[in-house]
Amino acid sequence: MREIFIVWKKELIDNFRDRRTLMTALLMPVILMPVILIGTFKLQEYQVKQTEEKTAVIGIASLTEAPTLVDFLSQQPKIELKEIAPETYAQEIDNGTIGAYLAIPADFEMQLASDESPVVTVYSKSSNLDSATAGQKVQTTLAIFSQQIGTGRLMAQGIDPSIIQGVAITPEDISTAEERGGFFIGLLLPMFIVIFAIVGGMYVAIDVSAGEKERKTLEALLLAPLSRFRIVMGKYLAVTTMASMTIILSLVSMSIAFALYTPDLGMGTLTIDLSPAAIAIMLVIGIILAVMFSGLLLSVAIFAKSYKEAQNYISPFYILAVLPVGIANSLPSFKPSLAFFAVPGMNAVFVIKEVLLGTYDWTHIGITVATLVVFAGLGIVVASKIYSKVGILFRD
Amino acid sequence: MLSVKNLTKKFGDFTAVDHVSFEARAGEIFGLLGPNGAGKTTTLRVLATVLEATDGTATIDGHDITTDDEAVRQTIGVLTAEIGLYDRFTARENLRYFGQLYGMQGQQLEDRIAEVITLLHMERFADRRAGKFSTGMKQKVAIGRSIIHDPKVIIFDEPTAGLDVLAAQTVINFMQQARDMGKLVVLSTHDMFDAEKLCDRVTIIHRGKVVATGSIDELKTQTGQDTLEAAFTHIVGDEAAFEAERMAEEKQLRDAQKGKPSLNMPGMKLSSNVVRYAGAVLVVAGAIIQAAELFGETGKIVSYVLIGLGILGALAGKYMMKKK
Repeated sequence: MREIFIVWKKELIDNFRDRRTLMTALLMPVILMPVILIGTFKLQEYQVKQTEEKTAVIGIASLTEAPTLVDFLSQQPKIELKEIAPETYAQEIDNGTIGAYLAIPADFEMQLASDESPVVTVYSKSSNLDSATAGQKVQTTLAIFSQQIGTGRLMAQGIDPSIIQGVAITPEDISTAEERGGFFIGLLLPMFIVIFAIVGGMYVAIDVSAGEKERKTLEALLLAPLSRFRIVMGKYLAVTTMASMTIILSLVSMSIAFALYTPDLGMGTLTIDLSPAAIAIMLVIGIILAVMFSGLLLSVAIFAKSYKEAQNYISPFYILAVLPVGIANSLPSFKPSLAFFAVPGMNAVFVIKEVLLGTYDWTHIGITVATLVVFAGLGIVVASKIYSKVGILFRD
Repeated sequence: MLSVKNLTKKFGDFTAVDHVSFEARAGEIFGLLGPNGAGKTTTLRVLATVLEATDGTATIDGHDITTDDEAVRQTIGVLTAEIGLYDRFTARENLRYFGQLYGMQGQQLEDRIAEVITLLHMERFADRRAGKFSTGMKQKVAIGRSIIHDPKVIIFDEPTAGLDVLAAQTVINFMQQARDMGKLVVLSTHDMFDAEKLCDRVTIIHRGKVVATGSIDELKTQTGQDTLEAAFTHIVGDEAAFEAERMAEEKQLRDAQKGKPSLNMPGMKLSSNVVRYAGAVLVVAGAIIQAAELFGETGKIVSYVLIGLGILGALAGKYMMKKK
């Protein structure tokens, strides 16, 4: 035990002195998690605001003609009127000085007074996002104006205006919190926890195996009077410790960021469950993941002769771990069947996603933990077997 | 102190060390000489228990290398040709780590580190990180590392290869110092000048076999030559022998290139094949369960686990094949 501890301690100290390891394993998760959390919501908020709150500039030929309509429009908070020469409206829309152009007939007031329906044309460009939004906005406003005029006319004739409403429509959004949280909750957050389980241990795994070969310290280490198994266990624990530390840090920084900033998507506050129970489950799954990937990383990295080579061997693991999840999540209305919870890596993403949304399905959690434990155990066995083979250690 | 009996090491069909026997005593520098590729490094690696002997054995200070490997490693200190240090550790930390691995701790270890630092004149850079050391400085730390546990037997494998004159002198001085302290120093080299200057007795190995053993004077008298180098050439062979050796080497390289498995241990090949086929069987079993939708949901889980394990097994088997 003492020897395992010595190796473990040495590898951790060694790697804490390496700036590269510190950056990827410790600094990145601390910074990245809040950035993803807040950034994604800010972006969505921004997009919502963009369409709702931007003032639409509407061009008309004259601000003094058709005073009923012009007065009504100038009272609207998000609409600004601008007088332009009628023949230049297309150009002005392209320049971005106006979003849409309103062509009002000269006898507008007269037609209105004689209960006719004057034709008002809205010119906008659907290929231009700003113009399309402005066009939509002015059309909605015009519809309200039209309704007001209509209501006034009906009332003047002593008719209840509600009579023209055939049906009363009430929209009701049935999308779940999961569907609204969408990309962020569904994919990004759980996936990053899985990625951190790889990234956190990656540099240490390379450093203690291929790095030891590259620096030519391996033979001296093997000459020391302790069994190979103890050397591997010490190194293994160091890799696992580092990867777990990455996961713990990312969860902590995520919780802090979430406590300081509650996202609002403009459709009711979205609830992410960051209760102690949720954190505990994510932590347990994250650490078992770290143990599993550590075995895998160590086993693979020892075949490499140098740092660079080891990195080449390891990069496919990202794709392996992340791609299936990405594909599964991009399928519309994908609901993982029970079997998917037996696929290591993928199952972690699904369970973390569920837990974040407040669902605790103990069958899913149980299967996931059990599978991960089996593969983690396998990882330890494989790594120690590989290290006890002399040939790999001296492969030149 | 060191007694080697019929030591043999085979890599597949190739015999790197062929029934080598010799004895060396405490308080001498014993030379293991031979041309490149003669089997010197392999012999030393087997003695250091890094490689396993195919046949024969050796005892070091009474510990058998085949049965008592950890005690053997505790008794010997080895300086390999390739010296590597942990760059982000200071010289002292490098020494401390290895001291701890050799079972030392506390004040006793710190005292020993201080002793080694003084012995090798490393005071100036003992607490600086090893990454920026010159070759000579690294060499000193590497020597310090190999003797941190005060071994009775010190093995040097081509210690001066690639060193400049001053760094080489450090090593040579240390070897003489160690002999005077009553240690057995085993020196493997192909440099006959070094050997003549340093060694008390030598064994010459050629193509894995011992071709001569004795003191330097004995070898000179036997061959009627006046330098060790001339005696060595006389023993190992003339031009014709060199030519034959070159041919053998080429054949060796050809074999190594076309038939990697020919160097393989049959047991290894068998077990890797078993692993591969077992992997394939698992994948097929998983696929059948999956396709036939046996056992409902549980069946699906089982099939994914089987396929996963199968793929892992197949990959592991492939690595085992490729490894040699």
